[in-house]
This record gives sequence, C-alpha cells and structure tokens, in this order.
Amino acid sequence: MKDSPQIADAHDLPQSRPPQGNWFAAIRAVTGFQLNRLMTRPRLAMGLVGALFPAAVMFAVIRTAPINRDMTVAMIYVLIPEALCVLGLLVTMCPVVADELERGTWIHVTVRPGGRQSLLLGTFAAAVIWTGGVSLVALMLTLLISQPTQPIGLVVMFTVLIGISCVGRAALFALPAVILPKRALIASVGVALVVEYFAGLLPAVVNQVTVSLRLRSLLVEWMEWRNDLPIEMTLFVDDYSAPVQILAVCILVFILLTTAGFILNRRQFPPSVEN
Amino acid sequence: MKKTAEILDDPVIQIENLVKEYKSSDGTIIRAVNNVSMSVAPGEIVGLLGANGAGKTTTLRIIATLLQPTSGHAQVCNHDSITDPVGVRQSLGYVSATTGVPDRLTARELLTSFGRLHGLEEDAIKDRLDWLITTLSLRDYIDRPAGRLSSGQRQRISLGRALVHNPPALVLDEPTNALDVVGSRDLLDTLDRLRESGHAILLSTHRLHEIEHRCDRFVIIDKGHIVAAGTRHALVGDSGELEDAFFHAIEQGAPT
Repeated sequence: MKDSPQIADAHDLPQSRPPQGNWFAAIRAVTGFQLNRLMTRPRLAMGLVGALFPAAVMFAVIRTAPINRDMTVAMIYVLIPEALCVLGLLVTMCPVVADELERGTWIHVTVRPGGRQSLLLGTFAAAVIWTGGVSLVALMLTLLISQPTQPIGLVVMFTVLIGISCVGRAALFALPAVILPKRALIASVGVALVVEYFAGLLPAVVNQVTVSLRLRSLLVEWMEWRNDLPIEMTLFVDDYSAPVQILAVCILVFILLTTAGFILNRRQFPPSVEN
Repeated sequence: MKKTAEILDDPVIQIENLVKEYKSSDGTIIRAVNNVSMSVAPGEIVGLLGANGAGKTTTLRIIATLLQPTSGHAQVCNHDSITDPVGVRQSLGYVSATTGVPDRLTARELLTSFGRLHGLEEDAIKDRLDWLITTLSLRDYIDRPAGRLSSGQRQRISLGRALVHNPPALVLDEPTNALDVVGSRDLLDTLDRLRESGHAILLSTHRLHEIEHRCDRFVIIDKGHIVAAGTRHALVGDSGELEDAFFHAIEQGAPT
C-alpha cells in the first residue's frame, strides 16, 4: 500500500506508566504554543501598529505645542498602561481562550492531565508576554519621541505599571472568556468599560476591586503628585502605599484566575460544543 | 443476539450502568446514554456502532472525562473518570472527528508541545516522536505546516497527538469521518498495528463497511441503549452483512 508505515514492534513501546503531569512544563508548553500562534503576519502587523500608535500620538501632540514632563507622563500613562495594554489583552487573551474553547484544539488539551488549567495559565502567560512586549516597545518609542528629563526613572516606573496592567487585566478578561466563550470579546469589552473605566472611577468600595485604581494610585505615588492633586481628584486614588497596591493586584489576580480555573474544571463538553 | 456487552475480567476500558441526561431548552430531560455497560481488553478493538445521535459521542466523552455521567461509572486502567480524572487522562488517548490541528504548526511542533503538556522530558519526547514517525509514517511531512496537509495526514497527526504519552487505551470518535477511502484504510491499518502493540481501542463510527472486519467485537447502540453486542460472527452468523445485523438490532430496539 502506498505510504505504508513500518511496523513498530510491541517491545518498542515504552512500557512504563505515563509520567505524572509536570505543571510548569505543561504551562510552558501552552505558552509556547500560544505565542507561536500569535506569530502570524496579521498579528505581528497589529502588534507593530499598537507599538507605533502611542508614539504617533505623542509626536502629533508635541508638534502642536511643547508639553512639560508631568503632561508627558500623564499622556504615556493613558496611552500605554491604560489604552494599549487593554486593547492588546482584548485581542490576545479572551479571543484565544474562547477560540480554544469553541474550536477543536481545546478538546485535545482538556483530555490531558492538568490540561484545562495549563491552557488557562499558558494563554494568560502568552497574553501577558505578547502585550507586555508590544507595550514596552511602544514605551521606548514614545520616550524617544517625547525626550523627557530623567528617562531611566520613567522607564522603570512604566515597566512596572505595564506589568501590573497586563497581569491584572489578563486575569480580569479570563473570566468572561471562560464564562461566555461564545461572546468572549463582547463580554470582555463590557468588563473593560464597566469594571475598569466606570467602576474604577467611582469613589466607592467597588473601585477597590479594579486594576485601574491601583495603577492610578501607583502613578500618583511614584510621581509624587499626591500633594499637588486638586481635592476632588484625590477621590480617584487610593491612599495606601505602593507595596499595598501591588499586593492588592496580586490578590485580585489570584482570585480571578482561581475562579476561572474552577469554572473551567467544572465545564463539560457535550457533543454540540465541538461542532 | 445479545443485548448486553461482554464485561471482561481485566479490561483497560470499562463502563458500568452509564447514564447521561441532558436538560433540553424546554426543560424536558433527555437521556442520551441509558444504562450502558461494556469493556475493552488490551490488544482488542471494539467498534461502537450507531446512527447519528445514538449516544456514541456522549459515551466516549464520558470515558475521556469531557463529560460527567449522571450515574454509573467509566474507568480506564482502574482510574475512575469522576474520582480520578487525572489518572484517566494519563492512561487514555482521545481522537475526535475534528482534528483540531492548527494550520501553522508542523506535526513535530504540535507533538512536541503535547509531549511537554504531559510533562515528558525532552529525551522522552524525542523517543516518542521517533516511535510515532515510524509507526504512523509521518516522516515525509513531519516538518510541514499542517495547513498544507491532506485530511488523512492531519488525522494521522491527531492520532499521533493522542499517542504521544503512550497511553494503553485509545478512544476514537468517528476518526474516519472526514477521510477518503485511502485515508480511512491507512488509519484503520494503523489501528491494527496498535492493537498488535497491545493497545485497547474503542472506536465509534457509523461507517460499518470500513470496520466490519477490523474489530474484535461490536456494540450497537440506539437511542442511548445497547441493542446488540458481540463478535461479528455472533451478530451475523456464518454469512450475512454487519449492516443487516445493525438494522435488525435497531428494529428490535432496546430491552424493556
């Protein structure tokens, strides 16, 4: 028969029981797998546009009128940790999880030991790496264009803010992706608008569970703006120190990912799901 | 004609009194699998036959831990799908009708990724890849992106993905659905060789002519019930076609 395979003898088969799943290796495998899938021309082009966008806006602004360092920092904050990170994660986190859930690939991952959690955490890591990478390139380009004083300090500060933004928002978008996989992108846009940009700006308890409050508070603290803020603006930032803000994001991420993992673990796949 | 499947002493795959109910949109309960019991021994291919909607895929998905049964048990290598799903997943390879092979990845990349997903060491993955390349005849296209491969080649990669961790049990859900006659025959020849290697194989299909002479035993399922089970000889006698036995069993219906 054409292309007939050679027969492998039975004794060629390793006879030992398959090894216990190594979680870290499994998560790393999914991360590599998802990053590989992101390396398409359209995705790379999208990443390039994302990286150029804040620099282009900054270029347009400073051509119109010179701006001071604080204004430059505020613009970079809005353009990169707030806008670019959210957009990047909307593209890389929820549709990828939803795509896996709704299409054939997912089913082959879930029948592996720890497959469901590996897929969630691996996709989370890939989304953070991808969006964080694009955001860091955007940061460097924007700083090159704006030429602020003491740029090294700004690089360090914004790198941390970008990291927190990516980790926090990726975890936030994991939930709609596993709860409403068929409407993941719409649900995640809703979460971004309602939770991050509406609830996050409410001077109430609800804003304590948003990443945007933590990011704003860190920015205000590290730029030493707190004493210069108008009294009404202090309602939109938290008084606690930077370590507390970072710890709050870590707790939020842990709760969100644990909840998403719990939902995934209980999720069933009736025959209609694959078709 | 027997209306219960044989339960073996030392099976690799075993299901007992399996029931799966779904709630439909109007609130009525639909019993997709109704008190199904069967088993598969090492070095055996069992064909699970039935029309579309008979309950084949639901049964296989319960075994593969993708669905939870309403009642009853599914076990693979003595690991229960409810109490020890990780044990089941370590012991089982699952192939579905849709291959789910990403177009951009090569077979080598895909199989390596899934080997890592199982926590295999790089040396072990390399050994398994060598074995899969030989056994599944992947050598000619192992480094070609899957998007440029035929349906048969993609399904063979999907089979490789199911075998990458060397499971003793294989569950295949209509694996020849998207294949032409050459691809189907190739895949079934490969299953023959895996049987010789000692794998326990449970295979669902509604393409009876393809597997009539391949399976050691058959289980015919209709509306969630087993309506006939046994060897080909037990089902059709010395002469006759499996298809005739299939229709006869379905007409006779489930035991009351």
